[in-house]
Amino acid sequence: MISTTLHRELADLLPPGGVVAEPAQLGTYQCDGLTGARVTPGLVVLPTSTEEVAAVVRACARDGVPFVARGAGTGLSGGALPHADGVLIVLSRMRRILSVDVPNQRMVVEPGVTNLEISKAVAGDGLYYAPDPSSQVVCTIGGNVAENSGGAHCLKYGFTTNHVLAVEAVMPDGEVVTLGADTLDPPGYDLRGVFIGSEGLTGVATKVVVRLLRVPEAVRTLVADFDSPAAAGDAVSGIIAAGIVPAAVEMLDALAIEACEAATGAGYSLDAGAALVVELDGPEAEVEAEFSAVRTICGDSRATRVRIAADAAERALIWRGRKAAFAAMGRLSPDYFVQDGVIPRVRLGRVLARIAEMAGEQGLQVANVFHAGDGNLHPLVLFDATNDGEAVRAERLATAIVELCVEEGGSITGEHGVGTDKACSMPKMFSEEDLAVMARVRAAFDPQGISNPGKVFPTPRLCGERPGPYRPHPLEEAGVVERL
Amino acid sequence: MTAGATAGATAGAGGPPAAAGATAVQGPPVLRPTDLRELRDAVRDTPGTLLAGGGGTKQDWGAPPERTDAVVSCGGLDGLVEHSPGDMVAIVQPGLSLGRLQEALAPSGQWLALDPPLVDGGATVGGVVATNDAGPRRQRYGAPRDLVIGVTVVLADGTVARSGGRVVKNVAGFDLMRLYCGSLGTLGVLAEIVVRLHPLPEASRTLRIPADPATATATTLALLASAAVPTAVDLAGGALWIRLQGREAGVAAQCALVRRLAAGGEEPEEFQGSEEAEVWRRLTAAHAGGAGETVARAATLPDRLPAVAAALIEAAGRAGVEARLASHAGLGLHTARLSGGDARAHAAVVRDWRRTVAGLGGTVVLRRRIDGVDGLVDPWCDPGAPPSALAVMRRVKAQLDPDRRWAPGRFVGGI
Repeated sequence: MISTTLHRELADLLPPGGVVAEPAQLGTYQCDGLTGARVTPGLVVLPTSTEEVAAVVRACARDGVPFVARGAGTGLSGGALPHADGVLIVLSRMRRILSVDVPNQRMVVEPGVTNLEISKAVAGDGLYYAPDPSSQVVCTIGGNVAENSGGAHCLKYGFTTNHVLAVEAVMPDGEVVTLGADTLDPPGYDLRGVFIGSEGLTGVATKVVVRLLRVPEAVRTLVADFDSPAAAGDAVSGIIAAGIVPAAVEMLDALAIEACEAATGAGYSLDAGAALVVELDGPEAEVEAEFSAVRTICGDSRATRVRIAADAAERALIWRGRKAAFAAMGRLSPDYFVQDGVIPRVRLGRVLARIAEMAGEQGLQVANVFHAGDGNLHPLVLFDATNDGEAVRAERLATAIVELCVEEGGSITGEHGVGTDKACSMPKMFSEEDLAVMARVRAAFDPQGISNPGKVFPTPRLCGERPGPYRPHPLEEAGVVERL
Repeated sequence: MTAGATAGATAGAGGPPAAAGATAVQGPPVLRPTDLRELRDAVRDTPGTLLAGGGGTKQDWGAPPERTDAVVSCGGLDGLVEHSPGDMVAIVQPGLSLGRLQEALAPSGQWLALDPPLVDGGATVGGVVATNDAGPRRQRYGAPRDLVIGVTVVLADGTVARSGGRVVKNVAGFDLMRLYCGSLGTLGVLAEIVVRLHPLPEASRTLRIPADPATATATTLALLASAAVPTAVDLAGGALWIRLQGREAGVAAQCALVRRLAAGGEEPEEFQGSEEAEVWRRLTAAHAGGAGETVARAATLPDRLPAVAAALIEAAGRAGVEARLASHAGLGLHTARLSGGDARAHAAVVRDWRRTVAGLGGTVVLRRRIDGVDGLVDPWCDPGAPPSALAVMRRVKAQLDPDRRWAPGRFVGGI
């Protein structure tokens, strides 16, 4: 419960309509993209400026009231799950582009600006913002900063942290600071680097300085079919061994192809055991030389068919098929869990075989979609919640898969974040000492522990109750956002 | 400066000449662990303040530590733990020299994409990471912060903690790798470092275009707005040096594009092979400076270069000091080397240049300096204009090193 005093105080701090307290309206903010986890926030505020965010946070800090920042709510790990006795700070009214510096390739934006708006604003200048999470049409840069979002092209271009130069942030005590700078190497510790990807546990971003890149001169995309994921994996190894760093390398197995084709008709071969999407970009002559090498490698790896995108429209269609993978699963199964494990790429064949075995043991099906270049797997565990005990078995399998990734030297999350979803798996990857040191750094930012509490770090309370199965996000159902 | 580094000078200047040899001040003891356990024990069980060291090539960066009771040398931790070419990842111990690492990776056609100065002088991977030092090809590949994907660190209380992992794509837990990169060993000592690797380019060429700072800046901005993807863009010695690397055909096409951009001026000169390697050895070394020089590094937006260069000439002229500028023009990183004149004059140039650069929205940090400069100018910033989040930085230090055992006073704001 939020006290009436604090409620009134926040209402006075904010413009009219800046506080939401009606139970029915609060319900809208119950969950983010991890729709199985739901909590009604104590109060929702909609600030319009840094000063308003700082005033809200100062009031919370004074009273020891928890707060959670939220952008578009597309996160897949429950990072923006509200706190029942806390304030949800929704940044959707802070969506101005503050300045654009074309010669120096920089832009300053408010946190509620969407990822795609950044690129659109400078498209006419031949520039773009490189990280491209699948939800880029709606997800906000503030959320990207909190989650250190990646996307299909991060194999070559890196993540949010490689493209955000500075963040103006409200610290959990209400102080406004600038982390980083619009230049490189400002003096001091790289707190910007810690803040990005800290999943809202170190404060609230109120301004973001991004680095822009020139749109590549050439882009070439192909889809190669193989008899099996293992054969496709050999092709990926061949590409890496040839010293080629593609902009993206994506793989779909037979089940994923079936779902994507049913949903989009993007032209993937239904009789293939696996499909590999390879995209190269850069200077024209460079791309042509490497693209022809990739074609040869696919042939040498016994590709059964190679389809080359003839133009931008065909490339977009190929990507639409790939990006629809999650949403398309509904055509194969009433329910599913999506995972986000990472493995050292060279262990792909072994891990896929083991996943198939584990699925067989549980009598369940698993569809696989991966960012094959960087070993980021998105296994989709299919189940029917109306069958007795199937949801429990599916959840157990999903957890076992991610823990297998850690055993193979990988990670529990490549891009979706830990949030509430994977906090209980953190001890699989990190020792108590590792986590204690992260908690010490967190305490340097937030000694009271009021900024997005209950996320990332495992707690007995959290780990006693697991979120339910995946349900489509409202935006996804509405067809606004595709999922990765 | 550490006690060890000043030992000779102190004895010579302060002690009676006859006794100097007999009572020469001893440097602090040097601990040389050879594995993680020994490193942890050395840190935990040695009382007093500690200074972590690698190849010793950048030990003069930052402010002089207030006190050094013992030096923790990583020289005995110099192994390449693992290289997985298929994953393009390597796990290294901090004391491994960057030069030896590159030699070990090269047969697989890979490298750690860092080309900082002082590699020939024995710069170690740990030292390069702790200073976040990088060279000309940062233009394409980034700095250590962009390439370190996992670390194991020993804190002052003997805590051994990892963050990150051994896969490039990983968002589990806080990103403390970036925190340690550039922390100058003031938070803990690196025990193991996981880095992502890049393929060695098949072809490489460099174009030299004679240019003053204004022309060089215009060409650089045009280049960044063009289809070319240069790996380095440096201004030094009255010319812009542009390096193009990749496939043979791609490099040829990009060279042609650069020539078109520079059309109208003097014909660019082209370098390849060992000649090109020598060019970049020289250009890179310019950023480290040498004996008798004070080195300061400015960071600005790329288009401020002409103003940065003019400000340096003016400041140096006023103080009667000779100044040379070398700039990573595409990155907005500018290195000034000062020679001639005394410590007072060098400090005056740094203060003066810093004030003008601050007006341009940038910062100036002192690196190497001649004796006597310390105390006359803060190496990090104008004390009246500290970093915005200095209070949070102090709290990070207090959380990880509450007793200020690691190089106290070396970091910004006396941290």
